[in-house]
Amino acid sequence: MKIPSLIHGILAAACVMGAALPQPAPAQVSADDFNALKKMVEQLGDKVQKLEQTHEQDQKAHEQDQQVIEQLQKQLGETKTAITNAQQTADSVAKVQSAYPVVNASQGPMHNFTIVGDAEADFGKSAGQHSAFALADFAPIFLFRASDNVLVEAGFDTILNNNVDQNGNRAPGSSTSFSMSFGQLDYLLNDYVTVVAGDMLLPLGTYSERGAGWLNKIPDDPLVRGVLPGSGVGVQLRGAVPVGESGQMVTYSVYGVNGPSSGFSNSVANASALDLGGNVGDTPNWHADPSGGGRIGWFYPWAPHHDLELGVSGQTGSWSDNGSHIWSAGVVDAALHLGPNFELKGEYIQTRYGSDDLGQLDPHGWWAQAGYKLAGLNLDLPYINNIELVSRFDCENDGQGTKTDRYTAGYVYYFSNTLYFKGDYEWLHSRGPGALPENSFVFQLSYGF
Amino acid sequence: MKRSHPLKLRLRTWLRLAALAAAIVAVSGLLAACADPQATNTTAADAKKETKDTKAKQMAKRLTGAELYAINCNRCHAERYPTEFTPPQWKTVLTHMRVRANLPATQAREILKYLQEESGS
Repeated sequence: MKIPSLIHGILAAACVMGAALPQPAPAQVSADDFNALKKMVEQLGDKVQKLEQTHEQDQKAHEQDQQVIEQLQKQLGETKTAITNAQQTADSVAKVQSAYPVVNASQGPMHNFTIVGDAEADFGKSAGQHSAFALADFAPIFLFRASDNVLVEAGFDTILNNNVDQNGNRAPGSSTSFSMSFGQLDYLLNDYVTVVAGDMLLPLGTYSERGAGWLNKIPDDPLVRGVLPGSGVGVQLRGAVPVGESGQMVTYSVYGVNGPSSGFSNSVANASALDLGGNVGDTPNWHADPSGGGRIGWFYPWAPHHDLELGVSGQTGSWSDNGSHIWSAGVVDAALHLGPNFELKGEYIQTRYGSDDLGQLDPHGWWAQAGYKLAGLNLDLPYINNIELVSRFDCENDGQGTKTDRYTAGYVYYFSNTLYFKGDYEWLHSRGPGALPENSFVFQLSYGF
Repeated sequence: MKRSHPLKLRLRTWLRLAALAAAIVAVSGLLAACADPQATNTTAADAKKETKDTKAKQMAKRLTGAELYAINCNRCHAERYPTEFTPPQWKTVLTHMRVRANLPATQAREILKYLQEESGS
C-alpha cells in the first residue's frame, strides 16, 4: 500500500504550492492603444483586401495565360501534324521522283532508250523443195525519246539465208542480211499533228505498219502486198482527232516521198524495171519529182474489243527516171472485232503504172483474214483455250499475166502474250508466166519483246 | 506534147505538198487552241500541263485508261502486261505507239497513265 500513499502526498503538495503562488494581474489597455490597434487592424484588412484583389487579377491573368498556352499547344500540334504530312508528302514525292526520274546530264543518254521488236524462226516446206528450217529473223526496234516531243526510232531485220547465185541456183555458204525496215524522227507538234521524217513505213492500207512478225497471225505476207512499196524516204504529217467520248476517232496521214524508181536505166522504163522501194537517196536522185500520198481512216469502237475500222489510202507520182511514167496505188482497208475472240480484216489493193514495153499495167488483188480464239467457246480446257484458228484468202494479179489464188488455214498457239507458235498450210493456185510453187506449209515460233 | 522541165515538176509537186502540210498544221493549231483556250492566253508550260491534266481527268470519267488500252491496243496485238516495262519505258513505248497507231493524244496520255500506275515500279 505504499504507492497510493505517495500519490496522495504529491496531490497535497501541489495544492499547497498552488495556493502559495501569486495570482496574475488583470490587463489594463488604454484608449490610445486600442485606437492604434484598431487602426492597425483596419490597415491589415485593407492590405488583405488589396491582396485578394491582386490575387483575383493574377488568377484571371493565369487563366488567360492558360488559354494562350492551350492555343499555343493546339497550334503546336497542328504544326507537328503539318510537318508530318509534309514529310509524308516529301517521301511520296521522293518515291515518285525515283519512279519518274527527271532527265539530267548525270543520267546519261541511255535513260530514254528502249528496245522492242520481235524474233522469228521458221520451219517449212514448199512444193519441189525439202522441208527445212527456213528463216531466222531478229527484228529489233530501237527507240530513243530525246524529249517529250521527240522520238527517234529505227527498225532492223537481221536474216540468215542460204547463198544463191544470180540465177537463183544453189551456191555454197550462207549470208546474213541486215536491213533497215524503217528509220525515222517523230516530232509531236501538238495533240493533232506529228511530223515524221526519214525512211517511213508507208500507210498504204494498215498492213505495213501492223504486219511485223509478232503481230502477224500468219507467218507470211499476203501476196498482193508485193505490189506496194513497204517504206519510203520523205516527210509525213499524221495524227488523229477524237470524235465524241466513246473512243471513236478519225485518223489521217499525208506524206511526200521520193517514191518508186526504175531500177536499171535512166532512159528505158520497161515494166520489169519498176523498183518500188528504189529511190532512197539524193546522190544520185533517180528521178525528178516525188510521190505524194496519204490515208484517212475511221475507227469506231462501241465497246472494248468490239470495233470497226475503215480506211482509204493512196499514192501517186512518177516512177521512171526520165519522168515519163506515173505509178499510182489505191488501197481500201477494213478491220472488224466482235469480242476479244473474233477478228476479220482485209485490204483491196489496186495499182497502175505505165511502161515503155507493155503499156499500162494494173497489178491488183485483195486479201481477207479471219481469226477465232477457242477461248470464246468457254471450254474448261486450258491448252485448247490457248489456240486461235486463223484462215486467209489472198489473190494477186501482177498485171503481166500471172494470177495467183491462195487459201491458208492454220493456228496460233499462245504460250504467253508474247510467245506464239504458229502453223499454216497453204493451197496455191497459180497460173501464168510467173506462176508460184504450189502447196506449202510453214511453222513459226515468234516472240515479241 | 511539151513536157515540163523536171525541176518545175518537182517544184510544183513539193509546193502542193507544202501547201497541204501548211493547211494541216494551221487547222491543227486552231483545233489545239479551241480545245485549250488557255494556250492562246499564256505560254507557261505549267498552265498547259494543268489544263491537260484537267482534260485527262474529265476523259477518265468517260473512258478509263484501262478501257482505252483494251480498245486501242488489243486490235493489233495481244495486250502487254503493265509490269513488262518501267514507267519511263512505257513513256517511250507509248510515244512510239501514239505515232505508229495514230492514237489521239488525250487517249495516249490516259493509257500511259494507266500503264505507269500499274507497272509496279
